[in-house]
Amino acid sequence: MLAERIRKVMGDVLGVDQATISDEATPGNIEQWDSLRHMNLVLALEDEFGIRFRDNQLEQLISFRLIELNLRERLPNENTIEPDAND
Amino acid sequence: MKLLKYSEILARNRELGRMVKGKSYRIALLSNIVVNQLGEILEFELRRRGINAEVLYGDYDNIVQDSIRFKDVDAAVVFYETANLVDSLHASAEAMTTGELAMLAGRVEQEMELVLDNLSEVPLVLFNRFSALLFAPDDLRDGALQRICNRLNAKLNQTVTANQLAVNMDRLLAQVGLPAAADFRQFQSTKALYTIKLLKTYAEHVAPAFLSVTGRMRKVLVLDCDGTLWGGILGEDGDSQIQMNNSTRPGRIFREIQQMLKGLRRHGVLLALCSKNNPEDVDRVFAEHPDMLLRDDDWAAKKINWQDKATNLRQISAELNLGLDSFVFVDDSAFELGLVQDELPNVACVKVPETLSDYPAVMRHLAREFFVLTRTAEDMRKTEMYQQEQARGETKVQFTSLDDYLRSLGLVVRVAWNDEVALDRAAQLSQKTNQFNLTTRRYTEADMVRMLRDNSFAIATFAVEDRYGNYGIAGLSIVCIKADIASMDTFLMSCRVIGRNVERAFFDYLINKLCEMGMVRLEAEYLRTHNNDQVSGFYDALGFQLVFAKEGQRNYNLLLADYQPSGINYIEVKKDVS
Repeated sequence: MLAERIRKVMGDVLGVDQATISDEATPGNIEQWDSLRHMNLVLALEDEFGIRFRDNQLEQLISFRLIELNLRERLPNENTIEPDAND
Repeated sequence: MKLLKYSEILARNRELGRMVKGKSYRIALLSNIVVNQLGEILEFELRRRGINAEVLYGDYDNIVQDSIRFKDVDAAVVFYETANLVDSLHASAEAMTTGELAMLAGRVEQEMELVLDNLSEVPLVLFNRFSALLFAPDDLRDGALQRICNRLNAKLNQTVTANQLAVNMDRLLAQVGLPAAADFRQFQSTKALYTIKLLKTYAEHVAPAFLSVTGRMRKVLVLDCDGTLWGGILGEDGDSQIQMNNSTRPGRIFREIQQMLKGLRRHGVLLALCSKNNPEDVDRVFAEHPDMLLRDDDWAAKKINWQDKATNLRQISAELNLGLDSFVFVDDSAFELGLVQDELPNVACVKVPETLSDYPAVMRHLAREFFVLTRTAEDMRKTEMYQQEQARGETKVQFTSLDDYLRSLGLVVRVAWNDEVALDRAAQLSQKTNQFNLTTRRYTEADMVRMLRDNSFAIATFAVEDRYGNYGIAGLSIVCIKADIASMDTFLMSCRVIGRNVERAFFDYLINKLCEMGMVRLEAEYLRTHNNDQVSGFYDALGFQLVFAKEGQRNYNLLLADYQPSGINYIEVKKDVS
């Protein structure tokens, strides 16, 4: 569930088919994942999940696995509750 | 409306980019901070309303240079951020001397004037007001940063022209809330200051300006009566029991609503009534009820009957000769609104909120739908002009031939040739006219001034009057002149004067004038939009030769010597200026 939502956001932001985003996805194997889009991606994840990453995390979340790991820590109940509907 | 998530905006914007057709509408984004994320958000906000927007990004902190580079865009948005006027001004301002601050403000004032001047030919410029809110120390007195902003904003307000808007950033920051508006993580690393939420709010806030310059804003506000204009039910409670004065809480609210409606009308919004009631009851309220602030002559159209409201709205649209996509409909009944929304999806439907005290806020928010970039003195008279039109409609039925009827009107067409005074109205006509418009090119007043000064253009406007009243300036023609060939860049006419053959009388005048100027040939074109089918055969009817045609476009040619005058003798053409 969480992984799906992350894939959806990544697909939307990077402009790639979600199905092509594997657990091993990194800027190294997704051409569209450049530094500008990386910032868009981080901001989109924050907007989607209603959270704010810490200063040093902005640049560190550079793989699907790191993003998922971070979000799972931040949102332990993610698989059971609905996201905040108020944006 | 609920704001979409940023990732959804990016995906939908990409999709819309493939779907929305039409000439690309280019917007330059100039800034001294990083606002890249605004680009796609703004594109989305405009593309979903049918504007094929494309944002071009200026270089970081290069506003002055970019204002020269982007002179030929359709619009420009300028983020001149206070905190970055010099590096870290937000932190250093309090330590600066009065002299240093004054010197800095002076420099920025000069740059601002230069930028606005460089952009003076851009049809729409949005320049953000300076704001200190995000960085001001928590102090009862205005700090140095706030004082600088006050000075710069005073200058900005003086400097902007009619098509340059000073966007109130403080308002947007308040709307979003300061903690949710700024992203200091990014500001420290990449000099991006605003959150996605603020940028979404910004794009939504400025959209009406773009709708206005591209002729997409709403023009008519249609209201129900019971529960919308007053409290209670007129047919049951009677005149004395409906609530619209200060003696009850609902009455006070409806009174506020009526006051706001008067304000909208003053700014050119056409008000109309659509209510299931006995017409004589409602007429009596507008004629003599002491609490009613609106009077009969405040309404451009009235449909008080027991027909369904979709039918009534269609009839109002026909009477006013304005498309339903320019209508907003307010009612307190979800049933009526649902019916209208189903049958007429282009009408914007608004419900009177269940919590009545929220109603004035809903009305305040509605004002944005009617935003007009160019305001003119004629806006205030608009309702009156539509009412005269209805009086004319009533005379119409008694005549057997249209010519007889038109003769009875005593029509006068008053042509102004290259008249500077008419330019604001000319610009407004070019922005608002959709139906009788051969090329649908939108111009601002600044464009018009430029063409007026350029000898290769001639701008003719014409005002129309008859025995019922004055329509004001209702037609515009822009002719481009090269040697002895004239070409019609724009020909349009307000829908208020359609059906009177005034365009034929004007053309008689125009062709004659072009001959006097030594022209031999007139080229013209018809560019189709989804609104202007009614003029697709206009040039054919005038005897122009069709020289080229493809999907949505027809080009014509007329040797002036071959022109057949209309022979109309019941319209008097007068020349004001030549």
